[in-house]
Amino acid sequence: MTHTINLKAHNRPEVMERVLRVVRHRGFALQQMSMQQCDINQEVNITLNVTGERCINNLELQLSKLYDVSHIELEAATAIKSAVAMNA
Amino acid sequence: MTGAQLVLKVLQQHGVQHIFGYPGGAIMPIYDALYDSDVKHFLSRHEQGAAFAAVGYARTTGKVGVCMATSGPGATNLVTGLADAMMDSVPVVAITGQVFSSLIGTDAFQEMDVLGMSLSITKQSFLVQSLDELADILHQAFEVAQSGRPGPVLVDIPKDIQIGAVDFEPYALPEKTFEPVADCDIAKARDLIGAAKKPLFYVGGGVGLADAIDELQDLLDATQIPAISTLKALGTVPSDYPYNLGFVGMHGNQAANHAVQECDLLICTGARFDDRVTGKLDTFAPHAKVIHLDIDPAEIDKLRKADISILGDFKQILPALKATPEISAWQQDAIESIAKYAWRYDYPNEDIYAPALLNKLSKALPYDHVVSCDVGQHQMWVAQHMQFTSPRNHLSSGGAGTMGFGLPAAIGVQVARPDTTSVVVSGDGSFMMNVQELGTIKRFNLPVKIVLLDNQRLGMVKQWQELFFEERYSETNLSDNPDFLTLAKAFDIPSVSISKADEVDAAIEQLVNSEGAFLLHVQIDDKANVWPLVPPGKANHDMIEGA
Repeated sequence: MTHTINLKAHNRPEVMERVLRVVRHRGFALQQMSMQQCDINQEVNITLNVTGERCINNLELQLSKLYDVSHIELEAATAIKSAVAMNA
Repeated sequence: MTGAQLVLKVLQQHGVQHIFGYPGGAIMPIYDALYDSDVKHFLSRHEQGAAFAAVGYARTTGKVGVCMATSGPGATNLVTGLADAMMDSVPVVAITGQVFSSLIGTDAFQEMDVLGMSLSITKQSFLVQSLDELADILHQAFEVAQSGRPGPVLVDIPKDIQIGAVDFEPYALPEKTFEPVADCDIAKARDLIGAAKKPLFYVGGGVGLADAIDELQDLLDATQIPAISTLKALGTVPSDYPYNLGFVGMHGNQAANHAVQECDLLICTGARFDDRVTGKLDTFAPHAKVIHLDIDPAEIDKLRKADISILGDFKQILPALKATPEISAWQQDAIESIAKYAWRYDYPNEDIYAPALLNKLSKALPYDHVVSCDVGQHQMWVAQHMQFTSPRNHLSSGGAGTMGFGLPAAIGVQVARPDTTSVVVSGDGSFMMNVQELGTIKRFNLPVKIVLLDNQRLGMVKQWQELFFEERYSETNLSDNPDFLTLAKAFDIPSVSISKADEVDAAIEQLVNSEGAFLLHVQIDDKANVWPLVPPGKANHDMIEGA
């Protein structure tokens, strides 16, 4: 099944590596991606199309644990990155 | 001041008194600053030893452990220790020197992409790119390492940043804050607990990490619900709690494993349904609803669907779950099961039965002693047959299962708690993995007690070869081990070797009463195996016992 994930992350040079590593390690394959720097807040917007047999929510939660990721949502889903998630 | 001096000042702002490390070219400015610093440095004899000492320091205190290494191979040698800290959620900050910024990416001497290597084995990592961000990154490193679910953080600092000039700013430590827990979830969980007939606490390492041991013990007192413990939780549930069913999992107590299979409510408290706990996952706790309590949202529903999940600080959550279920029949079952499956030490032979020795050692050691162990058969015997008064007193490489963990971890313990008896229980395979750290023990006169269970085999692998690989003992015979007493003598560490059961009591007394470091070498039968055992791919109620 293919899923679309939108996320905002701190614009560190290695941030794409971090995100893509988690996607691969947690059992998903990348189909398509885009990344764009924002003008404000030193952030980047990343959109990933991924496919995999595992539960997409688990990937979403693992990505939300990345310290540099500030916001994440599954397309057609509500944002789940809560303050509690930030704590972990 | 220089960036290097700033690094040490920031460490002090975070209360760091002790660090473990090994110098080299790209971190020389920081070692030069260390020369005049009040931060005490403990030189390891291999960077992996420094990383594990920091892990031991952190695990036994709850504070951040700090290790340092140079670029390239210095940093790669830290990797296993940081991976271990990642798997077991240990707050560690690793500082690595890096070559000059201008040389990064040029294949310069000892230049490696340490940030790239760190991605999968740290909670967060940084390559410092300017002096302006150095202090802020170091502060973030300490905050991230300790916040939420703890973990290791690496800060890679190029040499030009270390020698550059920078101003030192005061810093106020942030207060630890948690989101309030939703009352409705708490009420639902409490109702479920109150209505359960066969509830069971599945206690994990998260309780100790949250410093919520007292809260868990109060909850047990209030509910009188039976409890099982993971490897990392051992010491959390009091050993005299009447419904303490003990260690769960592949080499767990039968009482614990049978209780899981029978319970109707499993209250997972800071644990993560690891495969060594669950056996065949879809057969684990087959009749149970699940309440999952954790700080990490990614653990909820990862392997087992929770009926109710509560995220947050255990110090808030656990006191709110007090309910009084009517479970007298279940409690009686627990008491009978504990008696039925109690460990037995009646071993008729003249040679040494390792479980009996460890049980005697546990009783002979001072009340608040710490045991760091390595990985393999002896690790499981320690978990089964020794008693601990806190999870901070039992350090075992759980998630990563890293041979070589024990000796350097015990060094970290001894540095952090100089008045505590720090014991290593190791095997002859594991001991050789970081044996160079005997040099650290000698250098700092650390009174670490070492118990080396020597079966001249890689025992756990040999056990599996015997059971599952048709007794084809591929590369597990270590009968050409060095003479461990001569080895100890080379480091000026007194030692004794025993091979008969009637020598055990005197040898333990000698070890416990020794003033400095001591090595007790114990020759054990290479045919001894760890029982019971849940075979791979089987359910926990399919445990097998040896002959």
